[in-house]
Amino acid sequence: MSSSRFPLLQRKEERDAEVTWEDQQRINEFSKLNTRYERLDDEYKREKEEDEYLDDLIMELELLDDDEPINYKVGDVFIKMALEDAQARVQRDKSRLSTRVGGLDAELAATQAKMDDLKKVLYAKFGQAINLEKS
Amino acid sequence: MDANPRGIPRAPFVEDVDEYMKTDSPEATLRKLSETVSKYRFMENSRLQQRGSLEQKIPEIEKTLDIVDYLRDRQGTSEPIETLFEVNDTLYAHATVPPTATVNLWLGANVMLEYTTDEAKELLASKLTVAKTGLKNAIEDLEFLRDQITTMEVNIARVYNWDVKQRRLQREASA
Repeated sequence: MSSSRFPLLQRKEERDAEVTWEDQQRINEFSKLNTRYERLDDEYKREKEEDEYLDDLIMELELLDDDEPINYKVGDVFIKMALEDAQARVQRDKSRLSTRVGGLDAELAATQAKMDDLKKVLYAKFGQAINLEKS
Repeated sequence: MDANPRGIPRAPFVEDVDEYMKTDSPEATLRKLSETVSKYRFMENSRLQQRGSLEQKIPEIEKTLDIVDYLRDRQGTSEPIETLFEVNDTLYAHATVPPTATVNLWLGANVMLEYTTDEAKELLASKLTVAKTGLKNAIEDLEFLRDQITTMEVNIARVYNWDVKQRRLQREASA
């Protein structure tokens, strides 16, 4: 029958621990936080990578000749602009991205902390009858 | 029935399995429960697609907004903008764009309209807001659906365990 990854009360394992509405809500919350964690983590990895690319770009731009305009992509078109204008754009993108990466990092930590708390409560009540680990 | 803001119904929680099993056979009950799970999964899939398409659309709008902003900033100067213009995939040609006060926005359905850069900026910004709200709602729906699917899966597991226990009790009684 349906094979969900977690959390699910284990079949076959006959347990007498009754599932109350409060338990159900905790299980739901855990499952939801877990999906949220995965979504945020994907985004975090993507943005982090982009952030590192921008760091490289900043370094590369440092090495260029001040007097030579460069072709910098805005939207879908490369625009010839002074090096310092391009640098200003990169800096602007960089600071936006760094804020986002920092925000995601904090959100991930908060989500993980909530999941850890729920895990303790749920394992205390259901023990082996519940599986909250990633498979 | 209780539902979320986009009308997705909340899954019923089985308070007392003994009471719940009084009406139907375990097989019929399990079948009914799995049907509900499939319906939720169907909705989950459609919201996942929605999320995916919005996640693509948002950066595109942002990119367009970026170039409109650039053109807007250059309006005061008389210097033309020197560009490498994408003529086709991987093919760029030199193009000189004189400062412009208007741009043409492709609205879809074979319609393109000319806007001042201010109007274009406003229009794109409002499209961006709509897309971002849509994404937020899709994510909210997905989390809500996750809740309902989990509730249903726990319901199924509890009914299943109840059935196993009943069978064992019956066996013991007849032995």
